[in-house]
Amino acid sequence: MNHRGGLALIKATWASWLQHRGFFFILAFGWMIPPLIYLLVWSTAAGGKTLGGLNRGEFVAYYLVLILVNQLTYSQTNWTVGDLIRYGQMNRLLVRPLSPLYDALSSEVAGKVVYMMFDVPIVVALALILRPELHVTPRNALTFIPSLGLAWMLRFFWGYWIALLAFWATRADALLAVQDALIFLLAGQVAPVALLPAGLRSVAIVLPFRYMVGFPVEVLTGQLDTSGLWTGFALQAGWLVIALTLSVIVWRVGVKRYSAVGG
Amino acid sequence: MRYLRLIVHFARASFQEEATYQANFYIGLLHSLLNLATGVLGVMVLFGQIETVNGWNLTATLALLGVYLVVSALRSLFLGPSLEALAGMDGEVWTGQFDFTLLRPVDTQFLASFRKWHPFALFDLVLGLGVLGVAVTQLSQTLTATHLVAFLVTLMAGVTILYAILLAFAGLVFWSPGILFTWVFDGIFQMARYPLGLYPGWLRLVLTWVVPVGVITTVPAQALTGVVSVEALAGSAGLAAALLIGASALFRFGLRRYASASS
Repeated sequence: MNHRGGLALIKATWASWLQHRGFFFILAFGWMIPPLIYLLVWSTAAGGKTLGGLNRGEFVAYYLVLILVNQLTYSQTNWTVGDLIRYGQMNRLLVRPLSPLYDALSSEVAGKVVYMMFDVPIVVALALILRPELHVTPRNALTFIPSLGLAWMLRFFWGYWIALLAFWATRADALLAVQDALIFLLAGQVAPVALLPAGLRSVAIVLPFRYMVGFPVEVLTGQLDTSGLWTGFALQAGWLVIALTLSVIVWRVGVKRYSAVGG
Repeated sequence: MRYLRLIVHFARASFQEEATYQANFYIGLLHSLLNLATGVLGVMVLFGQIETVNGWNLTATLALLGVYLVVSALRSLFLGPSLEALAGMDGEVWTGQFDFTLLRPVDTQFLASFRKWHPFALFDLVLGLGVLGVAVTQLSQTLTATHLVAFLVTLMAGVTILYAILLAFAGLVFWSPGILFTWVFDGIFQMARYPLGLYPGWLRLVLTWVVPVGVITTVPAQALTGVVSVEALAGSAGLAAALLIGASALFRFGLRRYASASS
């Protein structure tokens, strides 16, 4: 593996994205709106009461953290990998003396930096206006970091193996849209997982989607007891192993089929 | 009459174009059903926790979601595809293809608004009407003719407001061809999924007076579920007329700035 080349690619992509930050700020604005809607709806609904154990300020805190976590774990690369395969542009990556994973990784890193430049000031401003209630304990803060890292890796590799199905089917990105809908429902966006109806909640806890967004937010906002925390980590790690395995298998088998259409 | 005949021809041509791609049909089906499921479940989860919020209960909010789905379907049926073809890096204004639109012997605004159709959106329209129908059967009071008339008037006003906003954005494309106005508007328009009453006061004002997307869905839903004042009725009709005139003026003014693209 050529790691020095990989680092150079990451730096170059980062610099190039910063050049076009206006464009990426507009994208980030669009992604911020859905969680923001649910922040406003739930905090209005809570009013002076508590709903499912959360009061108004705690809803605000939950969704403000969710806006950041959702953007940090969102992999827009998953949408572009399929296009690279369909339009035959994968050639350029395959002839490089680098793992093609670095290409994905470089836009991931560049994306996180540029999107955070937009999201962080807005979240801070919203926090000043909406007065969230967040009591961070050292345990929550320390466990938040690995849960966020694992969430990003899980969401990235889960999307990656789905995107690589483009080696076989031209419209594999329809499956990515299904994944986005499931994340919206089951990963704590439409409501914190604890507030979902019982049936939906057990589905959400077993499936991988909660561990891509909602789980780290629940960890930081202190919604989980010790057993909930460790089962969460176990399921998150388990799904990550599955996602990694699938990515490797689909890549190995798929790249042999690749015939550089239109290249 | 001539314009109506032209619309029929445009719609038929678009239908033939779309019918060529059959795989897209099933993917579209999937998207529509996911959109419906996430919308309905979002409302159900909220009202699983609480009975009413600021006067909105499950039935009224479901009716509003129905209005939102109907209006969105009308948007993607023809307004969206026609006007969005102008904007963006591969849009007609940037590439200079708008020359061909200008040269046709019909009114440019008419042609720019009605030429491209997305017949599949009729399916979304049916789903939206279905949600509305379910909400109406759940209503506690019976539906009178007055309700229906008020609903149709406000719905027409809502669609006109939406058209005016999209037309104004399309007009701005003549100043800045590459900007993603639609992406920004999509984000804001999503807020119309929930009643204005579920947002904090300052945002209610913004969504009524600055970017009146709230009026598009909230007023028709109120008219149908039986709590709309004559002032709101006249107000939304007046707003629709004013915005339509303003947006048409902006579009025509922008049109004069169009200077084709260098070849």
